[in-house]
Amino acid sequence: MAVNQGYELPCDRALEQVWERLDAVGEGLADEHELTCPHCRTARESLLALREATQELVAETEHPPPDLLGRIMSAVRAEVRRGQMVNLPTTEPGVVEVSEQAVAVVLRYAADSVGGVRARRCRVRKVGDGEAGESLVEVELTLAVSIHNSMGSEALNRVRDRVSAAAAARVGLRLVKLDLVVDDIYEAGE
Amino acid sequence: MTTTTSAESGTPLDDATLVSRAREGDVRAYEQLVLRYQGPMFRLATRMLVNRGDAEDVVQEVFLTAWRRLAQLTENAAFVGWLYRTTTNRCLNVIRARRPQADVDLDLAESPRTDAQPAIAVEVSVQLAALNDALQELTPEQRACWLLREVHGRSYEEIGDVVGTSGTAVRGRIARARAQLAEVMRPWR
Repeated sequence: MAVNQGYELPCDRALEQVWERLDAVGEGLADEHELTCPHCRTARESLLALREATQELVAETEHPPPDLLGRIMSAVRAEVRRGQMVNLPTTEPGVVEVSEQAVAVVLRYAADSVGGVRARRCRVRKVGDGEAGESLVEVELTLAVSIHNSMGSEALNRVRDRVSAAAAARVGLRLVKLDLVVDDIYEAGE
Repeated sequence: MTTTTSAESGTPLDDATLVSRAREGDVRAYEQLVLRYQGPMFRLATRMLVNRGDAEDVVQEVFLTAWRRLAQLTENAAFVGWLYRTTTNRCLNVIRARRPQADVDLDLAESPRTDAQPAIAVEVSVQLAALNDALQELTPEQRACWLLREVHGRSYEEIGDVVGTSGTAVRGRIARARAQLAEVMRPWR
């Protein structure tokens, strides 16, 4: 390989080669040269020490200061765009609004409650107003299904039921159209 | 709350799901991503910069920029790679910005390895201390390549994208870094 870059031992073996052979030699598979060459042995000892120290470095899980998450998230929240607002039904004068994003959270959660399915993108679009002043909305929900999901369309029917019920009962919107799009699969436990 | 674990078993949601939710403005999904990746990014930045304060600043900027650019991220699964790339590049920029100061007066310039580093103070292993010292002797680009590969397990191709070169060239750089590091790991010298 072209990666030796001049790091050759006095015995003409490349350091990279010694590195690649570390485990083999450790398992007793050393060739004649490796058994006897002092340069190779010295290089192996250095590389083993480096490998041990590297493992310590990997294991060292120094945590960020506890307030870092909070600082990042307040900066993020300061930039949140709420998106379009939709109206909720109300018997009081005036208008009760909720953001499409807030609606999306509730609908995604409803979809998640069906096993083997994860809601990803949720587009909420207002298409009109109902009699009680509530918005009529169309929703497009993009889903990933578990690679082990064998229920297929049955799972999707359950998603449809739960999302429609959540829209009505937990948000107070009327869903006039619900499109479900499955565009990915995920490994279970991922 | 509702968006951070799947309802089926309480297992954490996969990155792609969290990224696509965050892209739509779901702050809690994004918070989960920050929680998941602030540790590795912080450790990478700390080892690149050897200064916790600078590392914190870098990590904060990286996650805020990531939030702003989520819409441009076409592939949900590319999020982590993007984080590594941005963190590395910001660290390299910070180091470049420091250099003139060190060149002016080496004695008066603030040493990057001061006692304000609890991370280094708590080290117990002599080997690890030697490695940390040796890492600072590498060029920043070499150090980045070596850390990304040997500590964070990124692929040669991905590291090549980060530092603007090929996977083969990265392999060579890491081999040189390894030779240099192994040199100081000889206890009898």
